[in-house]
Amino acid sequence: MTTLTLPWAVDGPVRMPDRPADEKDLVLAAQRGEPEAFTELVRRHQRRAYAVARAIVLNHEDAEDAVQDAFLHVFRALHRFLPDQAFGAWLHRIVANAALDLTRRRKVRAADELPETIASPFRDPAERDELHRRLQAALAELPARQRSVLMLHDIEGFRHAEIGGMLDIPEGTARSDLHYARAHLRRLLGDLRSDS
Amino acid sequence: MTEDPQSPALVRDDALTTQLRALVAPPTDPTYWAGLEARILAHVERRREEGAWWALPERVYRIGLLAAGFALIVAGSLFLRAQTEATHMAYETVIETADEAPVFARRGLFDDERPAPLHTPRSAR
Repeated sequence: MTTLTLPWAVDGPVRMPDRPADEKDLVLAAQRGEPEAFTELVRRHQRRAYAVARAIVLNHEDAEDAVQDAFLHVFRALHRFLPDQAFGAWLHRIVANAALDLTRRRKVRAADELPETIASPFRDPAERDELHRRLQAALAELPARQRSVLMLHDIEGFRHAEIGGMLDIPEGTARSDLHYARAHLRRLLGDLRSDS
Repeated sequence: MTEDPQSPALVRDDALTTQLRALVAPPTDPTYWAGLEARILAHVERRREEGAWWALPERVYRIGLLAAGFALIVAGSLFLRAQTEATHMAYETVIETADEAPVFARRGLFDDERPAPLHTPRSAR
């Protein structure tokens, strides 16, 4: 048995089972208030949650913020979650909402603040050269929903129905958003594509 | 997928996709993920502590919300009843006024004080 001390473990150290638990059991345990179960859910899902968030927001920091906010929401709403449902799908929807909410709040910022964001301490691998700056600028020009659909579909491999569920839009809208986003990117990056 | 093969914009551009994938590539360092996990848990814990002051009153809040809803329903029904009564009273007033109006009209039409005839009656000649 592994012993962990968690930040909110008021009853002292908690014990982790040696075998990886079934996800439904983990959810049920987290709903009972067992902190190690929630920690395990975070550990299992944080990478995919980050990917979903990163597909929607424009930079790494916002993706991380969205993931943190999403897990906080999950923690608070966990008692309402039905364990027979897919935890991942529920989480992704929450992450997408958090990321879109963050994007809406960022939208009020002036466009000239974007370089400031890029100059943050963590350097996205994407922000290293001119090509990536062009891509970043082109993505920033896309409407948030179209960008999200494009990234979630083409980069993260989600299906239209899944994207529709995440973004709360009909599947057909996800399809048309993908179409417009691809066409828009091609217009913006036509010369870049011929160079590459 | 049922994409239209005739539409070039619907076809995924592999070169562009590769560039985009590199753009949003997640950190590969395992320590980053351990750190993110710790930050997520700390964030949850911090906000949980911040929210602790309302965690207990949340039940009270819900009860209060129910009570407010009930009060709203009662107030609404009282308001509707008052409205109905007011409408009824206004209707009654109109009816009563309408009942009295012909009386005044009859009095006016069949008044005994008639004007004197213009010609002299034969008996008076």
